[in-house]
Amino acid sequence: MTELLQALIFGVLTGGVYALMATGLTLTFGVMKIVNMAQGALLILSAYLCWTLWSHLGIDPLLGSLIVTVPLAALGILIYRYVVERVQRHDHGLTIVVTFAVALVAEALIALTWGPNPTATTPAYFNQAFKLGSLTIPRAQLYAFLLAVAVTALLQLGLKRTWLGHAITAAAENPEGARLIGIQPKRIGTWIFAIATATTAFGGAALSFLYQFTPDSQDTWIGLTLSVVILGGLGSVPGAFAVGVLLGLAESVTTTYISVRWSEAVPTILILLVLLIRPQGLFTLAARQDAAT
Amino acid sequence: MTRPVLINPVLIRRALIAAALVALAVFPLVSNDLYYQTMLILTFLLAIGATGWNIMGGYAGYISLGNSAFVGLGAYTTGILAARDNISPFLGCLVGGLVCALAAAVLSLVTRRTRGMYFIIVTFAALQLLGIVATIWSGLTGGSQGLALPIPTWSLTYQNWPFYYPLLALLVLAVAVSAWVRRSKLGLGLFAIQDDEGKAAGLGLATNAYKLIAFVLGGTFLGVAGGIYAYYVTFLNVSAVFDIVTSMLIVLSALLGGRGTLWGPVLGAFIIEPLANLTSTNLGGANAGAIRLLLFGGLLGLVVLFLPKGLLPTLSAWKTHRQTQDQKDPAPERLRPAQSAPMTPGGGHQDGGLAQYSHPLPAGHPDGTPGERPHHQNDDRPERNPAPADPDPAALALALVGSVLAVRGLTRSFGGLRAVDQVDLDLAPASVTGLLGPNGSGKTTLFNLIDGTVRPSSGRLTLAGRRIDHKSRQARAHTGLARTYQLPRLFPSLTVLENVVLAERRLSLSRLFLPRVTAAERARAMTVLADLGLAQYANTSPATLSYGQRKLIELAQMLWLDPALVLLDEPAAGISPALSQRLAGIIGRLRAEGVGVLLVEHDVAFLASLSDRVYVMANGKIIAAGTVAEVSANPAVVDAYLGDQVALAAGNALAAGTPLAVGNTGLTVGNTGLAVGPTGESAS
Repeated sequence: MTELLQALIFGVLTGGVYALMATGLTLTFGVMKIVNMAQGALLILSAYLCWTLWSHLGIDPLLGSLIVTVPLAALGILIYRYVVERVQRHDHGLTIVVTFAVALVAEALIALTWGPNPTATTPAYFNQAFKLGSLTIPRAQLYAFLLAVAVTALLQLGLKRTWLGHAITAAAENPEGARLIGIQPKRIGTWIFAIATATTAFGGAALSFLYQFTPDSQDTWIGLTLSVVILGGLGSVPGAFAVGVLLGLAESVTTTYISVRWSEAVPTILILLVLLIRPQGLFTLAARQDAAT
Repeated sequence: MTRPVLINPVLIRRALIAAALVALAVFPLVSNDLYYQTMLILTFLLAIGATGWNIMGGYAGYISLGNSAFVGLGAYTTGILAARDNISPFLGCLVGGLVCALAAAVLSLVTRRTRGMYFIIVTFAALQLLGIVATIWSGLTGGSQGLALPIPTWSLTYQNWPFYYPLLALLVLAVAVSAWVRRSKLGLGLFAIQDDEGKAAGLGLATNAYKLIAFVLGGTFLGVAGGIYAYYVTFLNVSAVFDIVTSMLIVLSALLGGRGTLWGPVLGAFIIEPLANLTSTNLGGANAGAIRLLLFGGLLGLVVLFLPKGLLPTLSAWKTHRQTQDQKDPAPERLRPAQSAPMTPGGGHQDGGLAQYSHPLPAGHPDGTPGERPHHQNDDRPERNPAPADPDPAALALALVGSVLAVRGLTRSFGGLRAVDQVDLDLAPASVTGLLGPNGSGKTTLFNLIDGTVRPSSGRLTLAGRRIDHKSRQARAHTGLARTYQLPRLFPSLTVLENVVLAERRLSLSRLFLPRVTAAERARAMTVLADLGLAQYANTSPATLSYGQRKLIELAQMLWLDPALVLLDEPAAGISPALSQRLAGIIGRLRAEGVGVLLVEHDVAFLASLSDRVYVMANGKIIAAGTVAEVSANPAVVDAYLGDQVALAAGNALAAGTPLAVGNTGLTVGNTGLAVGPTGESAS
């Protein structure tokens, strides 16, 4: 029983972090139907930047992530304006190939800058834990989870309450109509990419003290973030959060009852199963059944 | 060919290819330089991969990022068979190819319901998963320890020939198969899928089978090549064999050379692999890997950004551009002959045209199922303009021969909106039924429900006596349904002739192996095109034609299916009066031949002159049905169709005692209801 509860706690905390890491992808996919294969590389880049701030200036990664949002947003704008938007105009299908190219270039540049060795930030709390009876709640995981909740809530609020949020939602639901009332897709796209990559900074910060990372670990993270978005189906931010938690739980249970090694395969197995059997994703499925009855 | 050309470019190309092939075949015999042999072996591998990728990615437009999964699967199958069961790798690689064919078939299932992007993600995820599984399942694969194959036992004097020649042969085979695919109906369908998959399905093409075959072909070649590669390197480790970078190089080669061309992927591989070889020999040190990644990732990005069509298509576009500039042709070609021929309305040569449309199957094809759809005696055909008191002739015909289409309680909701709400509709064979309604009343959604583009929330659809509401679009086309679209949807990658003969009347795998256009099809299609006045465009892309001409071609394309029921979505919108008269003639002939026609049209004059019966839709519901006269007398129709506009105008006009004309709808509403004016032609 304790074991199961512990697995559940780990699952929920990890899942929140997964959702945070996928937020950028959720936005670009949900609104613009663009799969940004550079998401993994951007995460790793954020992690390295947080690590640099932490190791050289002693800035805590949770705080450092706020600083990292600035260069990441700038990078997002550059990627959109000079790469994605150009390709999207003549062949939408190639955007995924070109962002994959961006990921490879970014991985190479990260490797040239920081070297190939495994890195991690180790702030004081990274291996401490709160005790709740016989249950353990690791502090690092908890902080990352709270960060995820905060970012998700802020994004939701921004989407629901601001003009930009309405414009983004409108562009997602009806691009032509949005264009007619004066919402320029290119401007909205720039904003979305800026916000998407900026939130990736938070995911990267969480990654930096939860996991060891190397330049080529971007490969793993793109797989994981993709699975969050695909399982979420619609690309909605709360949907991604729910799926992240589900994924975290699945991994945590797999780790506890089967083996750690198979838990690594959980996201990809879920991607394949969902896309082969229920391509519309888990959450749209639920919505559909509601609508049918 | 109008004037003699000194050197035929096709001959030059063939000579060049033959020379290159001979050079490659002779090379290891005259040179014992293992460096270049190795480089060529890897180049062949990449070229096979890129050629295979191109069948799915270039022809059908389904890009994959996971094709190195096939290299890995083929390599590990071969390696495991060789290491555990001592099976010769040259046999094992065939098993590897088989395993890859199976894997490709399973993965292609994902393309059944999703497009483009999801396929990329699935292939990417499959690659990752195979890598993880190969690591974990160490009992079979050696896990992270790696897997050693037996060392080749042949004499060193043979150098790498036993790898070199099989791979070269496999490359030749892969290119030959790719060339064959391009020339066959399989390739025709794949290019159609790339252009407009939904439309292709509506024409009866078994799109899933096409995609499955395309992906399996590419995967099989790569699997066999992977097996030979395994023996060549004699040692497999997971991260090297299931490497995403290999996938990236495959995609890069195909894109660089020219996606969708026959030789582009080969050319790309012969550029990329030597480049990769060069960098790996010249770059050393800790950063070598990162620099290579930077180089090839950057190159991939640059190709997509600045050379999206690839080298070969860009070169040939440049060549034709120069040639046309040299000729300095004053008049754009398509403007000249287009005007005269198709515009003659009626006219003698129109007669007999429809007979050719209606039985388009080549003589050699067994027209196996005569009872499949109702054939009707033409004497059931209702008379036009019946007296209002008489029973509705369409209903009479329905009672006699049953309906070709019966719709019962059909409903489709989008969120809270009921776009189509409890629609009942009957369509008699040999009749024309009009569907009227203001914009947004659900007419096109109803069409989409009938043809299977959209699935109903509830309700029943019966076509020629068969339930079709859970059938695929292909199955509905095979049952006898065909439609046109508001804006004609043609396939710009195909010629006009190919567009016409594309439609498939039944599911037939053997048909895929026929040439793109058989001689019988060509002859029949040419008479159809000649009848439409479009014969001179048979070999051009429909993208070069005018809007009206494209509408005619879509009509011919649809009729090639030999349908029992046709859905026409605003066929007369935006075309000239002469052309719409011609269209009316075609619709009349269709009815005479027993086809049921359902017609959406805002041009009420056109609709009224053709329809035996009219349904009026508003807010997703059928609000009236009957003859044009009956319907137009119905106050609910006038209210729903014209709404406030009429109420407003009526106040003024009725006071003056004059009939009122309502703007661009072409309706004239007088005291007796609805009379049809000759001004119905809508401009666009």
